[in-house]
Amino acid sequence: MAKKKPDPFFIGWAKKPPKSLQGFLFLISAILVGAAAGVAFGIGSSVPDPGDARFAWGAGYQTFTGYVDAKPYPLLRLPAGEDGRDKPHAMLISGIGKRGMQQLAGPLDGQPVDAGGILLKRGDLDMLQVGGKVSLRAAENPVQNFTPAPAEHLGKWRLTGEICDGKCYNGAMRPGVGLAHKACANLCIIGGIPPVFVTSTPLMGSEFFVLADENGEPLTAEVEDWVALLISLEGEVERRDDLMIFKVNLDSAKQL
Amino acid sequence: MSVKYVPVIWNRTKFVYDAVVLATVGAYLGIYIYIAPMFQTVTRPIDWDIYKAQAFGTCVFFLLTFILCIGPLARLDKRFLPLLYNRRHLGVITCVLAYFHVDNILGWYNAFSPINRYVSVFIVNTSFDRFLGFPFEILGVFALLILTILAVTSHDFWLHFLKPTLWKTLHMGIYLAYALVVAHVALGALQSAAGPFMTTAVGASVALVATLHLLAARKEHLFDTQQNTMDDSGTWMDAGDPKDVPDKRARIISITDDERVAIFRNGKKLSAISNVCAHQNGPLGEGKIVYGCVTCPWHGYQYRLEDGKSPPPFTEKISTYRLKLENGRLWLNVEALPPGTYVEPIVSPIMAEGS
Repeated sequence: MAKKKPDPFFIGWAKKPPKSLQGFLFLISAILVGAAAGVAFGIGSSVPDPGDARFAWGAGYQTFTGYVDAKPYPLLRLPAGEDGRDKPHAMLISGIGKRGMQQLAGPLDGQPVDAGGILLKRGDLDMLQVGGKVSLRAAENPVQNFTPAPAEHLGKWRLTGEICDGKCYNGAMRPGVGLAHKACANLCIIGGIPPVFVTSTPLMGSEFFVLADENGEPLTAEVEDWVALLISLEGEVERRDDLMIFKVNLDSAKQL
Repeated sequence: MSVKYVPVIWNRTKFVYDAVVLATVGAYLGIYIYIAPMFQTVTRPIDWDIYKAQAFGTCVFFLLTFILCIGPLARLDKRFLPLLYNRRHLGVITCVLAYFHVDNILGWYNAFSPINRYVSVFIVNTSFDRFLGFPFEILGVFALLILTILAVTSHDFWLHFLKPTLWKTLHMGIYLAYALVVAHVALGALQSAAGPFMTTAVGASVALVATLHLLAARKEHLFDTQQNTMDDSGTWMDAGDPKDVPDKRARIISITDDERVAIFRNGKKLSAISNVCAHQNGPLGEGKIVYGCVTCPWHGYQYRLEDGKSPPPFTEKISTYRLKLENGRLWLNVEALPPGTYVEPIVSPIMAEGS
């Protein structure tokens, strides 16, 4: 008598799957768990490097005395030695979270100030997240014999790069660039954090430019459409101490 | 099968199924979050919330890919049918994981701002006229909305309330959700936050889903385009040699592009019923006669051969069809009888029981 061919049939509510299916189902289960582990390891271990941007919590609360420029976005002008640097230094400042410093900096524009907060660092770049006891106030003991140098005009340029928000790029978030970060960057810019242009290739040693409109005023909300894209922009470049300002007309923006 | 609604009718298979799903998810998240970072070549680690969001988001993507592969795999190889059985739990788990992804994103990227984090999703990027730079988060929101609707309506209460056809149509929304998720990933994470492995894995996943569906569709198309001879009256279709119908199993006859009949043999008796299960439109003709009833291969719903009714106390019923034997050939009347109509099985004298 010919042996009857097995006819396995799975019924979910049955006590067990047919014996001839059990091995297959075990194999599929093992493949699933193994594939999940392999794919997770592959993706998780190959994430792009977000760089060394960070909050310098380890340095603790920092205070600086210098001058404040309110336009295009608030920045501190520090004398040599104030930040451990041998030359005058211009440092961007922000409020806590996604808030700019325009309200506090505006009335103090061009005046000596004390500023206190936590530093954000990305290589040589830095930003001060202002807050705490000192916050931003008229200087109690202004630095003697120091006046910020006037801006140095470096001519008209077309630069290629990506618009980010200055705070996340400097370390508030890792990664703080790219399209996945666009909504966050826009929220920062809406809140008053300076938009910055990070170029693909350096111009006079700098890849980091604070953006302004052609008149040196803050950019309009139109900038939000161009954030996180690879674009080219045309405008005048000026240098304040070691910080570049890129005064652009957004009509010149071209998506690459 | 149930005559009353309970949250989940647990059985051993569901426990094992869910255990495998949880082991898979656990392996994915555990290795992504805790093991893989030890092997990264980064100056400083990605922010914890962003990294967790990536872990949950990619997990959701691959679970959705797997969910969509189960259907065509089961069409191509019946050994995969058990994966269909508890697919709804897999869908609900996927939806829950999607909320973890969203929670991490909203709690980081959309936080720390004077603008409400939920509102911000809809207002901070309005570049709808761009391809790159398109507010891909909105695509994710719509996908999440669909997944939520599907998860909430996955219970049999909704299946009976909406009726199988509407419920099935609604749950085909999983394809729209997947398309939205693919676009969400392609326009977001793949543009900046993904390494080469992720780009490859996402591409391979989409290709796998598309390929399996095309193969399954080709198989179904070839079956549906098989021509069966009609008699002169146009109501009886030649259903072949009755001996070709395997015992306890069925031969499926395609009457039209969207109507199939399952001719079952139980020993010497032959009966014809609709191929469509009243529960979730499962292919009854791929089922088997168990305890004297046709048993659906998807969820085990059962029907009596002679009247297409589920045995009491169950109330499901399906259409029956008339059969006749002429000159050793089996003929099927293509006019469906109302669900639950009794039809005397025909007896084929040339077949021995159990052959």
